Amino acid sequence: MIEGILIGLGTALTPTNILFVFAGCLIGTFIGMLPGLGPMSAIALMIPVAASLEPATGIILMAAVYYGAIFGGSTSSILINAPGVASTVATSFDGYPLAKQGKAGKALAIAAYSSFSGGVIAAIFLLVAAPFLAAVSLSFHSADYFALMVLGLTAVAAFAGKGDVLKALLMTVIGLMLSTVGTDQTQGVPRFTLGLIDLTDGISFLLLVMATFALSEALIAILKPSGDDKRQEEMEASTNLGSMKVTGAEAREMAPVIGRSSILGFIIGVLPGAGATIASFLAYGTEQRLAGPEKGKQFGKGSIRGLSAPETANNAAATGSFVPLLTLGIPGSGTTAIMLGALIGYGIQPGPRLYIDQPAVFWSVIVSMWIGNIVLLVLNLPLIPYIARILAIPSRFLLPLILFFSLIGVYFVSFNTFDIQLMVLFGLIAVVLRFLDFPMAPMILGFILGGMMEENLRRALLINNDSWSFLWQRPMTLTILIIAAFCLFAPMLWANFQRMRKGADRAGEGG
Amino acid sequence: MLFSKDRIGGTLLLAFCITYGILSQNITLLPIQAKAAFTARTMPEVLMVLGIGLSVLVLIFPGSNERPQLAGFNWGKAALFLALMSAYGLTIRPLGFLISTSLFLIAGFALLGERSPVKLLLVSVPLVVCFWLLMTQGLDVFIEPLPWFLKG
Repeated sequence: MIEGILIGLGTALTPTNILFVFAGCLIGTFIGMLPGLGPMSAIALMIPVAASLEPATGIILMAAVYYGAIFGGSTSSILINAPGVASTVATSFDGYPLAKQGKAGKALAIAAYSSFSGGVIAAIFLLVAAPFLAAVSLSFHSADYFALMVLGLTAVAAFAGKGDVLKALLMTVIGLMLSTVGTDQTQGVPRFTLGLIDLTDGISFLLLVMATFALSEALIAILKPSGDDKRQEEMEASTNLGSMKVTGAEAREMAPVIGRSSILGFIIGVLPGAGATIASFLAYGTEQRLAGPEKGKQFGKGSIRGLSAPETANNAAATGSFVPLLTLGIPGSGTTAIMLGALIGYGIQPGPRLYIDQPAVFWSVIVSMWIGNIVLLVLNLPLIPYIARILAIPSRFLLPLILFFSLIGVYFVSFNTFDIQLMVLFGLIAVVLRFLDFPMAPMILGFILGGMMEENLRRALLINNDSWSFLWQRPMTLTILIIAAFCLFAPMLWANFQRMRKGADRAGEGG
Repeated sequence: MLFSKDRIGGTLLLAFCITYGILSQNITLLPIQAKAAFTARTMPEVLMVLGIGLSVLVLIFPGSNERPQLAGFNWGKAALFLALMSAYGLTIRPLGFLISTSLFLIAGFALLGERSPVKLLLVSVPLVVCFWLLMTQGLDVFIEPLPWFLKG
């Protein structure tokens, strides 16, 4: 492990890579701060740039953008009560009231220290967990991988909101369907190309991500009546951020919260599909319960614990979500799905072999997380008053620029104008589906995993003489599939159980 | 609610899944693979069944009965932006990067309410030129800057 850390340090600490960590954190903060644009859009916008870099540098850049975007999202949550992403919604519960009390600087500092601590602690867990899991998963066969991918896809749906499980599953299947467009990998026959040569190579992952996130976000912002006036008023109100100092008493209050929320966030992050949003809400809820009646009442009115907990947890979860990506090659969230796509674009297959075949990439990602967190604390925090000015840029300038960067990002990779037209079409479809509350992240996950899933299933069948019996004969495959089924049906069964119990209670009271 | 968001979305995706299923039958199979357990059609056929099944379930058990609210949105503006992006895709080659992108940005800013010609030009043109220089000189990504009739 020590050797690995040294390799990681050697790679991550080169002047070029440090520069990209700085740039990534800053760009990520900028983009993440814009309401509506989250880490997924930020990373998607960076892919064309990352594609022209060395694999390790490209991944370091994207990881830095990821952290920066989460941090940026917290800033807009605190300053103008407009969370850039779902994972920073809980931050606004106490961050915004603090800003309203004239303590915006303190709130930003607490958010930054909590994010930093959560990220650093989780990176230590990652350091221990990733090589161990990678070593275990070396014994996995194609059948197990197929089952793992089924688990990853069902878990995403299982963690969807109430009533959204079916929609999330349906969108996952739509993503899997889109992944089958193009020439079949083994037989070489075209599928769903509609006779168009431009579709022979399939739909570009970058195109789909840009269209469904960056492009559709901007289009939705155009659709909604302008919020510029309100935003500028809020910005003017929070121009004076106040002191950024955190007192000793406040630090002591934060310390246990950070410890608990880091562990909770990391564990939630490792679970496929759960992610930073659930982690932040869970940490907030846990701390509210643990705070006792007196302190608990302050939650929602500017509580330091209430701000520190979700901020720590969402950063720890972001780090945790790298575990399944780096060790199993299975993305645990939409963001890591985009990163997986980028890695595949480099010709790198994440998974247990990554640790052995590409140690520089594996370790430098882990080490860059520490560097990224330090950069966020040292560079971004003092710069926040200036970076926050971006929130005052009128959307009439911002939105066309986002559209331009999305379109040109895709065009610069393929130099095919057909891609721009296809992107416009997908952007339109994404807007309609998002307008109807159908989630996009499961579709991206399905799209990314589709090709690998089909390949592993085909290989497993080939090894097993065309028999599907491997699904129940291999203990590992069966176990993973049972967990997948549990993930899928447990929430439904639990909801039914709760309903029955309430019904029984009511009947008891009535009798 | 008959026309809830979930039901409309479910219907649209059901139509997509049925079309996908019909098209999956056009996938050519090599004669030697006719009896294989896994062919180029297997995955699409499984997905078709799953997709149709889940769409029908969404229609039968919608998560919410919320109806889509169409009023109060800038539909016209969004449609114009879609047309503008498509036009940008059509003009980027014949007009070159600098002119087509500048026009795209100027039209975009103007559509969203910017009326000052000076601001329109000052924000778009220098940005496009700087971006082009960054891509060609900094990242070695060449893109034709000028229209065909101005090329040397």
